[in-house]
Amino acid sequence: MNLLRHGHDTYGEPVVNGVSWDLLPVAFWAGIAVIVVHLVWRALRRRPGSGMKPQ
Amino acid sequence: MSNDNQPLLRHARIDRWFHWVMALTMAVLLFTSLAPILGLRFAWYGVHWVAGLVLTLIILLHIVRALFWQRPGTMLVLSAADFSQHSAGKYTLAQKLMHLAWTVAVLVAIVTGVWMLQKAGVPFMERDPSAFSPRGWGVMMLLHDLAALLSVFLVLVHVYFGILPEKRAYLRAMIWGFITRADLKAEHNVERVERGE
Repeated sequence: MNLLRHGHDTYGEPVVNGVSWDLLPVAFWAGIAVIVVHLVWRALRRRPGSGMKPQ
Repeated sequence: MSNDNQPLLRHARIDRWFHWVMALTMAVLLFTSLAPILGLRFAWYGVHWVAGLVLTLIILLHIVRALFWQRPGTMLVLSAADFSQHSAGKYTLAQKLMHLAWTVAVLVAIVTGVWMLQKAGVPFMERDPSAFSPRGWGVMMLLHDLAALLSVFLVLVHVYFGILPEKRAYLRAMIWGFITRADLKAEHNVERVERGE
């Protein structure tokens, strides 16, 4: 997976052109991961006998 | 307590308008920039820069209003009480951190985006691709892209917490303006909220 997009300047030297779009799914799935982790934590907290009061 | 269900104003009408116009422009900006990358080809640039300017204007108005008509400390300052249960002021620790993350993403996107208008060209600004070196434009694009990726992450997390049943009172407050003391008691110290902390 690439982290950056590269191009060339007028002298043919490589320059950074931005972030690689390979990282777009990473940002998406990182958001989904936070949601899933929170849903699991929330379900465990609400389980009867867990000692936690449901909201 | 008898007045637990009495509605308290949490968000004034103008702040609710700011929030939903920001949300709409962010949706347009993310769609017009990311859909072409995902293969949906259309003339995205015109819609993108207009939405970007609307967002810039809304954010400037929000900053002015927050500084001169509101108490910015309620959102921007972390206090020891934020880390204890049921003792948050107007905003919880999670809400303050979410606002901080959005602040970084949106300000980076706006600053780099406005500069990049100079490279791409808009009707009211003379095009000047030589204003920065290719390396400088590359760094600008890199920061703009990172802000977009952070925004994708934040949209998912923000919408998820907005629609959770136990957080629904905050969503109602962002739509209608009001919240009850009973709703606040789950995570807030109502006295702190009423003191404007």
